[in-house]
Formats: sequence, C-alpha cells, structure tokens
Amino acid sequence: MLSAEVRAPLRAIDLDASLSVAPGSCLALAGPSGAGKTSMLHAIAGLLRPSDGVISCGGLTWFDGATGRSVRPEQRRCGVVFQDYALFPHMSAWRNVAYGLRGLRRSERRLKAVELLDRFGIAALTDARPAELSGGERQRVALARALAVDPSALLLDEPLSALDRASADAASRELSAVLREAEVPCVLVTHDFAQASLLADEVAVMDRGSIVQRGSAADLAASPASAFVAELTGASVLRGVARPGAAGTCELTLPGGATVVAIGAATGPAAVVLRPWDVTIESASPAGPASSARNHVAARVTGLVPLGGRVRVALALPEPLAAEITAQAAESLALRPGAEVRATWKATAGRLVPGLPARQGRS
Amino acid sequence: MRARALMLALTLSAGLSACGESSREAVLDVSAATSLKPALDHARFQHARVRLSFAGSDVLAAQIRAGARPDVYIAANSELPRALAREGLVQTPVPLARNELVLAVPRDGARVAGLADLGRDGVRIAIGARSVPVGAYADSVIDQLDAGLRRRVLANVRSREPDVAGIIGKLAHGAVDAGFVYRTDARAASPRIRAISFAARLQPRVVYEAAVVTGTDQPRAARAYVGDLVRGRGAQALRASGFRPP
Amino acid sequence: MTRPSAFTLVSMAALMLTLTFLALPIVAIFTDVAPRDLIASLDDPAALDALRLSLLTSGLALSIIVLVGTPAAWLLATRRFRGRALATTLVELPLVVPPAAAGIGLLAAFGPLGVVGSQLDAAGIRLVLETAGVVAALTFVASPFYLRQAQAGFAAVDPRLLDASRTLGASELMTFLRVGVPASRAALSAGAALAWGRALGEFGATLLFAGSLRGVTQTAPLAIYERFGTDFTGALALSAVLVLLAATILVAVRLATPEADAER
Repeated sequence: MLSAEVRAPLRAIDLDASLSVAPGSCLALAGPSGAGKTSMLHAIAGLLRPSDGVISCGGLTWFDGATGRSVRPEQRRCGVVFQDYALFPHMSAWRNVAYGLRGLRRSERRLKAVELLDRFGIAALTDARPAELSGGERQRVALARALAVDPSALLLDEPLSALDRASADAASRELSAVLREAEVPCVLVTHDFAQASLLADEVAVMDRGSIVQRGSAADLAASPASAFVAELTGASVLRGVARPGAAGTCELTLPGGATVVAIGAATGPAAVVLRPWDVTIESASPAGPASSARNHVAARVTGLVPLGGRVRVALALPEPLAAEITAQAAESLALRPGAEVRATWKATAGRLVPGLPARQGRS
Repeated sequence: MRARALMLALTLSAGLSACGESSREAVLDVSAATSLKPALDHARFQHARVRLSFAGSDVLAAQIRAGARPDVYIAANSELPRALAREGLVQTPVPLARNELVLAVPRDGARVAGLADLGRDGVRIAIGARSVPVGAYADSVIDQLDAGLRRRVLANVRSREPDVAGIIGKLAHGAVDAGFVYRTDARAASPRIRAISFAARLQPRVVYEAAVVTGTDQPRAARAYVGDLVRGRGAQALRASGFRPP
Repeated sequence: MTRPSAFTLVSMAALMLTLTFLALPIVAIFTDVAPRDLIASLDDPAALDALRLSLLTSGLALSIIVLVGTPAAWLLATRRFRGRALATTLVELPLVVPPAAAGIGLLAAFGPLGVVGSQLDAAGIRLVLETAGVVAALTFVASPFYLRQAQAGFAAVDPRLLDASRTLGASELMTFLRVGVPASRAALSAGAALAWGRALGEFGATLLFAGSLRGVTQTAPLAIYERFGTDFTGALALSAVLVLLAATILVAVRLATPEADAER
C-alpha cells in the first residue's frame, strides 16, 4: 500500500493532498497544468521534500514531517517514467535499462535488459542511442528502465503526452497491460481525463494543489462534485467487441447488448470514448423525423446533477454513460432517476480506441 | 546614419591629431634601466615631454635591435650601449652617473650580516639574470670570493631576476634573505630594506651610459635631454637619488 | 543563389580581420626563425630544462584543477545555496586580475611574511621560489578557465536526467560520475584544454611569486624572456616550440574527447 499525505509550498500554489493506492491498482492524478500533480509524484519519489506530512510504502516510512525522517530517492526505489522520458543520451538502450541493476556482472545485466526490451518488442534496438529512437520507442525504453529495478511503486508522469496520436494509441495499449500486470501501487499523472479513465482504476482530480474529487472514472464523469470536475472529466468510455461495419465505420457490441457505431476500423476488444455534450437524449419512443445520429441506445436515467444552466445526466446502458443537456431540455423531457430514455449521438462524435480489453471488476 | 558617420569621423580625426606630433611640444621616448626609475620619475625636463619606459637594460637593447625606436637609451653599464653603437643603432654613448652595488637584506630579522653569511645553510639569495647589468655585476663579486664560499653562495641563489624590481620585491616580502642591488634601489626601498656595503676591492665599476638612438626624429631634443642628465636639472635629480657623478 | 546581405558581408570581413590579426604574430614566429636555428637552440640544455619544467608544472596544475575543480563546479551548477552568486564571481576573479597582481597577492598570502605563509612555513611547506610555488601560481591563474566551462557544462545537463538516475538507485556521487560528468564531456575537455594552455603560458605571477631559476622555477615563458635580452634567435626558437606544444595539447585534448563514446 502506498500512502502519501503531502504538504509543500510551491512557487504558485500550496500543495496539500492525500492519496493512497493499493498494490496492483493504479490511481490517475488528473488535472490542469500547474495543479501540483507532478510535484506530488516527485514528493513520493523523494525528489521533492515536503514541509509536512507522511509518505509510506509497503510498510516502510519514506517521509515523516514530524520526526524529520526523509529517505533518499535512491533508497526508495520508485520506478519513475518522466515526461520526455529522461533517457541518458550517452548510453545505448540496454545500458539505460540496465542502469539500475546492481550486483550483477555485465553480461547478466545486458541479458536482463534485453529480456525487458524484448517484452516491449524492441529487442532489435538494444544498442541504439536514444537520439536514434522514435518517440514511441523511447517511451518503451523508459518504461523498461523503470521496471528493471523491481520498483516498490510505479510512477508515471504524462507517459503518453509526448507522442502523436497514432503512437499514443499503441503505447496506451501496452501501458494498460503493464499496469494491469504490475503488483505494486501505480500512480499516473495526466492532464487528459480520457487517458486517465482508460488506464487507471481510479481517478483523483487535482486543482491548485488539492484533490477535489476521487472515484472511478465513470463516477467522476457522471457525478462531478463541481463544475471544474465536470469540465475536466468529459469522457465516458464504452467497452465492447468491435467488428467492421459499412464504409469506414465499425460496430461495437456492448456487453449489455446495445450496438454502437463509430468511425474507424477495429476488430475484437475495443472502446468508444464519448463526451457528454455529444450525447443527446430523446424520449423512449420517438415520434417525428428520425435524426441524423447513427446511435440510438436505450438507457435508464440513474442520476441528475444540475450545473447552472446545464444538467449532467447519468445513464445506464447498462454501461455507464454521461450526457449533458440544457436544464430546459431536462425539464421538458421530465427526466428523473429511473426514467427510460434513448441516448443519441453521432458516429463521428465517438472516438474509437482499438484493442482495449474489457476490465475485470471495476468499470 | 549620416549624422553618426560624421560624428565618428570627427571624433577619430580629433583623436588622431591629439596623438600626432604637434609642433608646440616635443615628446621624447626614453628607454632606461629599471634602477633609474626613482630618479628619472622625479626629474623635470623643460624642453620636451618625456615618456619613460623602464626594463632591464638588456631587454631594452634587444628591443632596439628588433626595431623599436625610442629617442634615448640609458643602460646600467657601458657594454650594452657600446655594442649598439658598433652596430650603428645608437650614437656615441655618454657616461651619466655611477652607482654602487650593495648587499640588501630585509630591515627586520635579517639572517645575513655580510658576504660571509651568504654561504650559510638555508640562506636564500636573489640576484639579477646573467644578461642584465645588475646580475653581471653580482656575478663579478661572487667570482672574486674564495672557491668554497663561492660554491656555497651559488648554491644558495634561488632566483635570477630580469631586473632589480624583482629582487627588491622578493626582499620586501621576505621571500629571500639577501640580494645584490644598487645602493640607490636600497635607498628608495629603505623602509623595508637595508643596505650592507662590502669591501671596495670587490666593488665592480658601475657606470650608466646614455646614447641618442639613430634615426630619432628629435635629435636636438634628445641630445639636450642627455646633456641635462650630465650637468643640468636631470643631474641634480640623479644626485638627489644617490647616484654619483660619472 | 541569393546574394548575401550587407550584414553577412561585414561579418565575413570582421572574421577575416580577426583571423589575420590573431594568426599573424604566430606565423611570424615561425617565418622569422630558420628551422636549423630552431633545432640548434633546442639542443641547449637550458631550453630543455625550461620545457620540461613547463610541462611538469602545467600538468600538475591541471591535475589539481580538474580533481578539485570538478566537484566544486558540480556543486555550483546543481545546488542552489545562499552566496552562490558570490562564489561564482570569486571563481572568475583570477580572470580579471593582472598576472603580476596575482603574483603579489600570492606572495602576500603564502609568502613567509604572508597571512597563511607563516603557518605553511611552520609546517615545513615552502612555496616561494620553489617548483611547488610555480604549480600554485599556475593553478591560481588557470582555474577559472576550467571552472567556468565545467560549471556551464554541468548546468546544461537536464536536471531530469539526474532525477532519473537517483530514482534508479544511484547516490549523488554515482549520479555525478555516471551521468553528470559523461553528459558534460565536451565542456569539461574544452575547459581543461584552455586551462592547460593558460598555465603553459603564464609569466607574471610565476616570476613574482616563484622567481626564475633554471631547472627549478624557470618555465619556458620565463626562459624566453631571459633569452630575449641576449639571444633573440634563441628566444624566437623557444617561442616557436612553446606554440607548437600548446597547439598539440589543444588538439590532443580535443581528440581525446570521445565523440562516439565507448559505452556500447
């Protein structure tokens, strides 16, 4: 169990946040830049000294403001993947990965490093320098390097933000697998809530140094505690099995039976990421002209959160989906929890993420 | 842009004309042995502005050989000016003054009281380099000591300085226990240095000679300057610093 | 092809002027002396002594500068502490102090009458008029050349690399040795080359502090000055050799910086 209670005055804000992560699960710290997410990560890794608080991992106290105890970063053994990856430019890929390995002979270190690189499919780049690698390859080397030391916790700072969309998708898949298999607590920092919901089990939203809400991605999207959280947590993620559809589209079958249309090509496990404001609500049996939207899915209202002139509607397909409509519209549709409605959105609105497997347990 | 260029041109020409020779006042460049500095700095020559350049007499001679053209050259011996005269680089040298070589020691806590002490264990001595007059004079004194003392003294020589300034400096900071300098230097540095005379028979003949450099564009002023040092206010300044008549 | 702008032309002219001005005295040394004279004057044992002493003292000075200066520059570059600006200025001071003033300063500090000198004397350490004193003078004047480059080089290392190294289990010392120094190789070797060249050429501070005695304190520059008075050709010859020596060191240090390093 990793638990961190951190108070630290920073340049523009005061960091004052608490979190805990169980071994094997992943917590995403989401929020805008300057919220203190990276500082939180650095405090856990030992690179930033808080003014007060307690940080412990696996029963060992790493920092205690009361006693003044502070364990040095090299003794904490957090596996950190930095934004921009921080690969040592004067070392080849395998030497980067082997950097943290102690007490082994050179040949053994190289073997272990190559093993890890192979797991990420880049064994061919063993002797390449970071300057010769693409962004996606560098990200994998950085990940391998962090895992090589058998870390007590895995900390990732914006692991995908330096990648272009195509590489990010592939990397996202890999990262998801790594995070699932990891038996240590993982903390992932991101400014992209969609990414957070895709990769992490739980999301904590940070703003100006504190955590404003914590919960599953779906909960945050459906029941945001504030307008700020609502703004940030735009996305819903619908997971299912895809098969190619007509003319550049793809049909995703959700476990609950509903079919969803998205733009793109995918086969097998995939997910569609949706923003609430792309979702329209109609009454259950529409009379009148059919809309241009390709998606009409039966849903039941499970919650309503008013936000000024808008309402965030929590729906169950049975998969959770969040919609945002005007308060007026909610009134005119007479929405209340339990009402049966149809959720509608355009196929072009949903973003298809191929290859994302279903989650076991939490949704 | 135009205005700036004009300003630049005006400034440059004003500067150049200031540098150039004006017919109002002559400027004499004088290269003189370092030991003359206390005297010549205080001498006022009426007929021209004098720019003094001090260094070891041998270095100044080498500069003249390499093409430097001061107006007057003054050395701490007669050999150097006469060698230059033979090469046609200067006019006939004129004796200016005499000096006395002394043994200099720090005023307080001196470990050396006389020539004999120079041979003691652990005594550190600074003298001039072989090619500079003050060094050659010191060599002549040491050469006249008896063999055993001479050997020990030479072993105690810890530095051969390019000119007297270096010797005085080392003495003043206690870096050496004794050194051979001119009496005039010891006098000028008297708060920190004390002079010890030695036997007259060991004393070298220290004569300063001055010569007008061939090719000077101020021959009259140069000759007048030398003449003033022989028997004018310049001569008085030399006497005041302790130089003897030639 | 587009015509170069007026500014480019002016810059090119400025470069030609600079190169000519800098190269002329050096070339003149070589053209003025006949090769036979050059070799003959090297046969002179005094010249050989001077060269040997120059190499010995400058090499020792450089070793001290690198050994002590590298961790010092590291601290200056990577840690924020009160007085850091002052420390940086102090490190640069010898650059602007005239060598003669440096010599006097060294005397005032380490001479027998000096602040620290009397202590040293009691401990039996003698610097003035000794070879060790030459090393001290050279170390003093040449340090800033290395320290400034080293500090700049270390400061340019991405701090995240150092962070990464720490999280991977490396202590501050190991991080310094395995990441900091290799990442700043170029700056460190450039600084070392400059410092060595400066030490080789030092004259004023050496003369005033350590004196001039063949085989003990008379380095090549001092020997050149002494020869200047009597043996101009000899002075030229020794100057030529010194220039060649300095150039060789400069080139050698540059080459010794592994471009593609051996860490494969």
